[in-house]
Amino acid sequence: MYLVAHVDTSICSETACKLCTQFCPETNTILYDNDKKTAFVAVDRCKACEICVSICDTMAKHHAIKMIMISDLENPFEMSKAGFNPAKWKELPETVVLEKVAK
Amino acid sequence: MSMDNLKISPALEKYMTKEYRDLVERGPYGKQKKVSEMGTFKEIIEEHPMCAGCAMTLFIRLTMIGLPNPEHTILVGTAGCGRLALSQTSIPFIYGNYGDTNAVASGLKRGLEMRFPEQPKDVVVMAGDGGLADIGFSTVLHSWFRKEKFTTIMLDNEVYGNTGGQESGMTQRGAILKMAPKGKKYEKMDMLGLAKTANVPYIVRMTVTNPTRVASVVRKAVLIAREIGPTFIQAYTSCNIEYAIPTPKVIDDAKSLEAERYGFQEFISDEAKAFLESIEPKKAKATKSTEA
Repeated sequence: MYLVAHVDTSICSETACKLCTQFCPETNTILYDNDKKTAFVAVDRCKACEICVSICDTMAKHHAIKMIMISDLENPFEMSKAGFNPAKWKELPETVVLEKVAK
Repeated sequence: MSMDNLKISPALEKYMTKEYRDLVERGPYGKQKKVSEMGTFKEIIEEHPMCAGCAMTLFIRLTMIGLPNPEHTILVGTAGCGRLALSQTSIPFIYGNYGDTNAVASGLKRGLEMRFPEQPKDVVVMAGDGGLADIGFSTVLHSWFRKEKFTTIMLDNEVYGNTGGQESGMTQRGAILKMAPKGKKYEKMDMLGLAKTANVPYIVRMTVTNPTRVASVVRKAVLIAREIGPTFIQAYTSCNIEYAIPTPKVIDDAKSLEAERYGFQEFISDEAKAFLESIEPKKAKATKSTEA
């Protein structure tokens, strides 16, 4: 198992800093949904470098991104399956963190 | 090489990969995308095999946003880390022999000017400190002296990261590396000074700490290279493997180095400045009014 970045959409949607999307070295990995006003992660592209975590904690001070085991995420967004199509993002099931980790 | 070449023939559409179709439909072509829009459009670079948390990758990603016309651009590179990401772009990439990047780019740019007199075609050389300051040193300087019209971008990680950590000309004095265990004995090469001596009209030294600035500097450098002459960007893109920087601290490291010895420097000739103002008069006026 391995860690991936996970954005807490309830915290992220209250801000519009978009800093994590600009500092991620991987392309189209932290995506931004203009409808839901939140960033989210394509887990199959994340290399777990934690730059976004440090940016969100120290530069933006929102503490919205955490590293989470891939097995603890339900319905994560995968670029290789969904492709890049913002119009269809709202049809996708919401990513959920399994309860044992959330607590 | 042009928008027509990128578009998919309708008969072949079902055979093309999802990634390519997304790129043509929702890519940045024809619209100057901003850094703040990242994550809402398909980028020119696809997945690449560079290390996790590499600042060089971040710089290359921002460079691709800054290119004014990616569909009319050709990249020239050489051996080194950078080509691992550059070869994953949907921009023609010429993988030159070690040392001849700027010679290849010179010929390429002259040929393109002859072949496409109506449409400006941009040539951008992107290689590491070893490729440009050590092995390709003579072709770099001669291209500057000949006033060849293309952009040279040095991805300065201060080490030969790809081959196990040998010192390069751009390594700091005293730096201890795996293949330089006693520390480097000589000073870091002053490429900015050499560029100034060669009268390069646009010279920039920068780090990745300000994404918007990276994109705007690359845009300016490519535009100036179209009309005025050679441009040079020297960017600090740390090697977190050879310098043992924990990946969450990559940006902090770039910030501390920026404060210490790698601060943002921009040299622009009067001719280049006048040219930039002539193509973007509104923007120049806006900045002047805010300054006043």
